[in-house]
Amino acid sequence: MEKILTKKSFPLWVKELVSYKIYAPQKNGDLWNFETIKKPESINLDFPNTVLPPKNIIFPQREVLLEFESSNENKLQVKETLPDDDPTIIFGVRPCDAKALTLTDKVFSGDFKDPYYWKRRNSTVLIGLACNIPPSPNCFCLSVGGSPHSKEGLDILMTDLGDKYFVESLSEKGSTLINLAKPLFQQPKAADKKAVEKTQAEAEKKITRQIKDIKKIPSILKNMFDSPLWDEESLSCLRCGICTYLCPTCHCFDINDEVASSSPVKGKRVRTWDTCQFPDFTMHSSGHNPRPDRASRLRQRIFHKFQYFVERYQNYLCTGCGRCISKCPVGIDIIEVLDKVRDYGS
Amino acid sequence: MDHNAYVPKLAKIIEIKEEVGGARPIKTFRAQFQNKNDFSFSCGQCAMLSVFGKGESIFAISSSPLIKDYLQFNILKMGRVTSSLHEMQVGDTIGIRGPYGNGFPLEEWKGKNLIFIGGGIGLAPIWSVLNTALGKKEEYGDLTLIYGARTSKDLVFREELEEIKKKIAVHLSIDVEESDWNEFVGFVPQNVTDKKPSPKNAITVTCGPPIMIKFVIKALEDLGFEDEQIYTTVENKMKCGIGKCGRCNIGSHYVCKDGPVYSWAELKKLPQEY
Amino acid sequence: MVNLDNLKKEANRILKEEKVKYIIGYKKSSNGLFTVPAFIKNPEEVEKLTWDPTCVYNLTRFLVDEKRKKAKEKEPDERPVGLIVKGCDSRALVVLLQEKFINRDDVYILGVSCEETGVLDEKKLAKTLKGKKVKNIEFGKNDNFVVTTKDGKTEIPAKEILAERCLECNANFPVISDILFGEKVKRKSDNPFESLEKFESLSKEERWTFWKEQLDKCIRCYACRSVCPMCYCDECVADTINFAVIAETTAEEKAQKIKWVEKSPVTSENFVYHLVRAIHLAGRCIDCGECERACPLDIPLRLLNKKLEKEAKELFGYEAGFDADVPSLVSSFKDEDPEDFIR
Repeated sequence: MEKILTKKSFPLWVKELVSYKIYAPQKNGDLWNFETIKKPESINLDFPNTVLPPKNIIFPQREVLLEFESSNENKLQVKETLPDDDPTIIFGVRPCDAKALTLTDKVFSGDFKDPYYWKRRNSTVLIGLACNIPPSPNCFCLSVGGSPHSKEGLDILMTDLGDKYFVESLSEKGSTLINLAKPLFQQPKAADKKAVEKTQAEAEKKITRQIKDIKKIPSILKNMFDSPLWDEESLSCLRCGICTYLCPTCHCFDINDEVASSSPVKGKRVRTWDTCQFPDFTMHSSGHNPRPDRASRLRQRIFHKFQYFVERYQNYLCTGCGRCISKCPVGIDIIEVLDKVRDYGS
Repeated sequence: MDHNAYVPKLAKIIEIKEEVGGARPIKTFRAQFQNKNDFSFSCGQCAMLSVFGKGESIFAISSSPLIKDYLQFNILKMGRVTSSLHEMQVGDTIGIRGPYGNGFPLEEWKGKNLIFIGGGIGLAPIWSVLNTALGKKEEYGDLTLIYGARTSKDLVFREELEEIKKKIAVHLSIDVEESDWNEFVGFVPQNVTDKKPSPKNAITVTCGPPIMIKFVIKALEDLGFEDEQIYTTVENKMKCGIGKCGRCNIGSHYVCKDGPVYSWAELKKLPQEY
Repeated sequence: MVNLDNLKKEANRILKEEKVKYIIGYKKSSNGLFTVPAFIKNPEEVEKLTWDPTCVYNLTRFLVDEKRKKAKEKEPDERPVGLIVKGCDSRALVVLLQEKFINRDDVYILGVSCEETGVLDEKKLAKTLKGKKVKNIEFGKNDNFVVTTKDGKTEIPAKEILAERCLECNANFPVISDILFGEKVKRKSDNPFESLEKFESLSKEERWTFWKEQLDKCIRCYACRSVCPMCYCDECVADTINFAVIAETTAEEKAQKIKWVEKSPVTSENFVYHLVRAIHLAGRCIDCGECERACPLDIPLRLLNKKLEKEAKELFGYEAGFDADVPSLVSSFKDEDPEDFIR
């Protein structure tokens, strides 16, 4: 389904969606992030990239998995704490961030479906906004199988055409939302479709960064496990978690018990984001650490994204959002690292 | 919605036995589920044990799947969770989720001679597969156990070993000489070289400290064993047990899900450090 | 003004004469405006060294890695590391020397003076240029920055786009160095606590609301800790394994360690983490501002550290990082120290 929605009508559409919990990019200080919105007119889709991808709405940084409590008779009770499945809409999802969710979908599926993830995922409608201008100078979605107007993972894709949006429904969930305010939407004209095509072609040209010959990277990496490159490239790495915590595809986590009372025991089992960049991530109880240094941790990040994940799920675990590059406090640039990997292979 | 893999089932500890004392104590725990359930596992698989309020740790199940009324674990006191387990009494409640991992391909080994080579607490995963093979002894060829520890006091299952000696060949060893020790003195790999098990129609399973495994494999290679005949188990830090949390990988393998059992032929293809 | 050629000449000399094992400095990144830390091992690489207003990094932080690495080496190279430091960075070095974390012979200090300027605030620059892409930025005459965009070069008074910390800086040239580049210009010192004083005038409730909102943003990536040269502890209360485990650490020791801070990014845990860090920096923080720069969520961490800096100055007349030979604030007392803070 393809429709036209004028920018004037946009808040009216949002008004029709009030039964949903609505997230949209909001500005706080100089930064944009996804937050729940109270007023339909407060959505401003003229934003650069959000600092955090919408990942944390589906896979929150903190998730209570279960609660446990021991009564006086020493009888222990365990209660599963699944999240609510309130119907939710996220406006302004960038195509790279939507594609990222299709990758984490793979991780949280399989033999052990993750009920926490899927409860949120299934109750959320993703409304994307095509990037007419790359939201970051470090965007490189084209190199990793995406595009500034990719529909992958989205329920609706909106393209800004000046005073109106070109709205494409890509799923039943998406069509439902459009049908809730049918009269607001118009049939697109041939000129509108042409305008969309032109905008998309121009948008692609504006993306300046790329990973050349990316297809060669996974097989080159296979022979680079012991390369001195990892030492060199990690010299300035601070071992902070920015690159992974801001990544829309990184999904590693920790599980810990948080205790309100130790006797009788009462508390929560909590899942929190974790990262391969922290030294304690792989440390055994004995103190032995198979990844003892920054080099092995940088290598793990690169290998996981461009070798292991490709081997396991036939996709790069990277959608080219560029956040890890833009926000690295010491300017470590994943494209540059991969350029060196490619040079190593030739 | 499918079953929630993160929520453990409650179980009661029905038996605790002190195997090894001293600074690195080992206890054997037997636990019984509170409610009837469908926990069925194969030899070599693991289970995630919960001490509520302290956390979870993953352990090899050391009982045989032939035993239905309890699960057995051998636990070395190492950190937060294992220390709490060591403080527990019979009747206390723990959580169990699993089983996790691939297990030994015991079905494929029918008709073959099985040689088990263990060191220290590494006997735990071997114990499950050894007892299962013993339970169906007619289906396998000769069974042999080569097992060692630092001192005679560090050997686990001492009483049970005496019983098993009546049924199969058992070669014990300790690292340093003791006054009333009549068996081999030296490291486990040296005992392997000394006993010269034949590679003919044989499968070996070796579990123990990484350094021991390394030299056992070398000893076996010297005796003419092929990579495909050598099986071992791998350990890594784990949190979820179900291939999602991302910390136990070796290459693209998650040890919790794709391991912990590997043939030396498979393991050779993976990165040697992680 | 810092003469980059002279800096390179000296770098080349100490590498050629094998006086240092390597030099930590700044180089242009192959992409993007900002420099990146450079680790120069060979004289041939010296050409890469640069000095411009984007040299924001406090490179003394990398001495922590150097020390850890050296501790693992069987036959360590005992030569010093060549280190390029600005005024603020040199104060960090003084604190590390004072705390005996490093020795004076561990480092050959190449000091660079910021004179009347300092380093750039990326956001201020973007605002001034209304998002126009900057190709290059360098120090110009009359305390201006020369900014190159697609429209050519423009000069912007440094004060307009300087990092906040530089505007409040009272060490615009290195307080310690083996060789100094640029002039020891005595800068007219503005109020170093200007931004803090504005904040202090708020009511208690307003301050609570402010900090709750700010610290609730924290995602605990620990960039603030990781970028800080003073956060060199092997054990940190913020880690899940908050102690250094060695083979000899007993199970009891591991089991009995208290978990001070949960990993959950919730108000209580975020407050504990940031307040513990702030307290541990009292009398040590030299306001290089790297924590605030590194924070991906713009938490104004300098404010916290500035507050403690001010307390140290007002209560004890102490300023961190000016003299390696005096005892550090928290390890010493004087008879005349005020007592009214002990209640």
